[in-house]
Amino acid sequence: MRGERPRPVDGPAWEEWIRQAEDPARVADKPEALDDLLVLDLSHGHYGALLTATYLAELGAEVIKVEPPGGDPARQWGPADASVNGEGLAFLAEARNRYHVTLDLGTAEGRRVLKGLAARADVLVEGYAPGHLDGLGLGYRQLKKINPRLIFVACSAWGQFGPKAKGQPAEYDLTDQALSGLLHITGDPAAPPVKVGSWISAYAQAAWGAGATLAALYWRGRSGRGQMIDVTGAEALMRYLEYTLLLQHASGHTRERTGLYEIAVFPYTFVRARDGWVFIAGYTDPNFGALCRIMDRPELTRDPRFNTALQRTQLENEVQLRDEIQKWSVNHTADEILARVLADPGPGIVVFGPMNLPTRTLEEAHWWERGCFKRVSDPVYGKLLLQMPAWRMTRTPPRLKWPCRPAGYHQDHVFQKYGGGVKKSLTRGVTGR
Amino acid sequence: MAIRKDYFEWAAREFNPARIHEKPEALRGIRVLDLSVIYFGPATADFLGELGAEVVKVEMPGQGDVTRILGNASFFWKNISVAFFCANHSKYHVGIDMHRAAGQELIRQLAARSDIVVENFKAGTLEEKFGIGYRQLREINPRLIYVANTGFGQWGSFSRGRASYDGLAQAVSGLTAITGAGDVPTKIGNYLGDWFGACMSALAALAALHWRDRTGEGQFVEMAQCEGLLRAMDWTWLYAGLTGRNRAKVGNGDHVFAPSGVYPCADGYVALVAGTDGEFKALCRLIGQPALAKDPRFATRDARRRTEHARALDLAIGAWCVGRSRAHVEARARKAGVAAAPVMTAKDQITDAHLRARRTVWEHDDPVYGPMVECGPAPKLSETPARIRWAGKPVGFHNEFVLKSILGLDDERIRELYAEGAVGRWAEGRRGAGPPEDWKGEGVLQ
Repeated sequence: MRGERPRPVDGPAWEEWIRQAEDPARVADKPEALDDLLVLDLSHGHYGALLTATYLAELGAEVIKVEPPGGDPARQWGPADASVNGEGLAFLAEARNRYHVTLDLGTAEGRRVLKGLAARADVLVEGYAPGHLDGLGLGYRQLKKINPRLIFVACSAWGQFGPKAKGQPAEYDLTDQALSGLLHITGDPAAPPVKVGSWISAYAQAAWGAGATLAALYWRGRSGRGQMIDVTGAEALMRYLEYTLLLQHASGHTRERTGLYEIAVFPYTFVRARDGWVFIAGYTDPNFGALCRIMDRPELTRDPRFNTALQRTQLENEVQLRDEIQKWSVNHTADEILARVLADPGPGIVVFGPMNLPTRTLEEAHWWERGCFKRVSDPVYGKLLLQMPAWRMTRTPPRLKWPCRPAGYHQDHVFQKYGGGVKKSLTRGVTGR
Repeated sequence: MAIRKDYFEWAAREFNPARIHEKPEALRGIRVLDLSVIYFGPATADFLGELGAEVVKVEMPGQGDVTRILGNASFFWKNISVAFFCANHSKYHVGIDMHRAAGQELIRQLAARSDIVVENFKAGTLEEKFGIGYRQLREINPRLIYVANTGFGQWGSFSRGRASYDGLAQAVSGLTAITGAGDVPTKIGNYLGDWFGACMSALAALAALHWRDRTGEGQFVEMAQCEGLLRAMDWTWLYAGLTGRNRAKVGNGDHVFAPSGVYPCADGYVALVAGTDGEFKALCRLIGQPALAKDPRFATRDARRRTEHARALDLAIGAWCVGRSRAHVEARARKAGVAAAPVMTAKDQITDAHLRARRTVWEHDDPVYGPMVECGPAPKLSETPARIRWAGKPVGFHNEFVLKSILGLDDERIRELYAEGAVGRWAEGRRGAGPPEDWKGEGVLQ
């Protein structure tokens, strides 16, 4: 069974083939991975839960967002100086591909209708305070009796169990970043810690929440049983912190913030170029060699302060090395440096790019070619620029179908499809549109 | 309606961490072939492994993954860098040289018996250089889900010749430009683009698995770390599209919620947010200034988030926190219904009773490395809890198990593969690749 030398694949080169296979213009012609799933979105003022349902909706699930009469308070979330039809931009950006209904869960009839939906749903995602839905008779332990196949995803700050679960306050991105440990290690050591600029814990919580849901779904396919999933934004981010806990355990060394420096790899930092800040890295020996070559400083690879990866990650050496790089980079524009990086024959490779303002990122043809952004003309909200799903899949590509809709927008459709017994009068009264 | 008295006891039973290992695993029966390096790739496979998949990690004989030697002197422990373990739990480690034809054939054989392949090489590398790209492997296994993680994607103008790390993804996406305050960029402290991207690609692999369950069809799935971060910038793009402006950097403030900040305490920092009128009133009472809630500068959320008003609130909250301990601030705020959390360090987390009770701080005893404390799985599943089974192992540690139990090879063929150099273990004396110096053969599978 000795293998043969690789021979070229028949047909177009890989890049051409994969470009065709992932062509953003042909997404709508293809099927959706999750279009057999019904998901109830009870996110209510909870961005991580909202996003969990969004990911599933982008992958094809039918998602019904249940809002109280008057709408989800998250509809008001957005910057002060821009909104569309009174809708906050944070909500408008992410509440996509859903069917929107309103239902007053404070009334017995509202709860009855919700149970009817939950009896047929595959997944329920919620972001209420732990125990709140349970108190309404709509928690996992009640709903699993009417639908043992239900996967019930509960998002909160401190989780559904553990000594701090009871009596916990609302979940916010900043407090999640604090609990995760990410806040402590971001920023300059001489200044207070700095949070990541977007609501990143909610995105992490959703990635875990939706991922765990799909794993639970796979298991349900084999066992016939649903389950409950407990996800916190803090733990979601904490799992992204590499070696932090093991380093503490193994060496007693507490990971601290190091600003533009790095205890694991260096150079891996921002420096000034002639026209702005740029990121540059080359930390393994061959890559550091490439960096010295493009700077015309080959002697640095032999400098006893920098000649091994271990030497380069000594903090005092990092400071000196970054100064050396910046002495060179300030004399060149980012484009000039990139041209040198791309022209370098190797061995080794330098990782380089400018620090872009968002409006600059939006000028890069690459993202538009790949369909990362889309300008839509929406009948309700007008012209919107939206970020597209993050993944590419050759057979079942995820997609944006429609942006957010007003609360209760799909009331008639949803209750006709699933309600059956919901009377018109009830729809008006209980659901409060 | 109020929270039922027994809710938290019920939830504690449902998720009881003491019973994790008695319960089934969600992805049992799924095999993942991990051909990837560093974090953005190994972490995708690792997350699937936490959820129950069997992961076979292929490394270059001799040296193995570069994370085995990552970091400064403080990282080295038991002959390896601590940086290796976080993306390599519960895997079977096989050393295969993909440069050799016999090595490539072994990869094909493994792919034929796998459900998911994960790689993070530059676009096209595995196809063109090693003959084990998607188009070649799907011929052998049409049900295969092939997951490729890159910086900028498999195609497009940036994909040619441009390598990426997480830090570059932060910079190029625009995330750095909306993080922190002032002119000097803030480099996010972890490799966020790697981990978030890896988590997203594990999610997409599972969506592809669902499709395969329905139809029998495999597919190619890709995730670019830059695109992951672009996607995670909430309203940045919508705002730029409507106004033509960049969202302002607001440090630890928040464009939506005010007050929001990080305040020095006697023993570190605390993060505090009061996002609703109710929470804000409670906060004013908490800091002994109930009148602030009626002050027209602070009476509504819109008024509170005006820069100068938010600053005034920051000063008032900061003044109250000074001299108090983080635990005191957290406890008092919690009682008042206000969200406050200590800015936790690894030292805080490793002893935290809550995180330990949830097994987010996961202590285990590995046959090769002994007692370890790592970050446990993030999502908690009541019926099929995610788990760590064992720690990362030396290069080629499970060669015999993989070659015999998965590929069905006999001892003679295995000896040949070793002799040819297609298969190998760690190189003696190579730091990071081999076992601890005092290892006496514990944990070996034959």
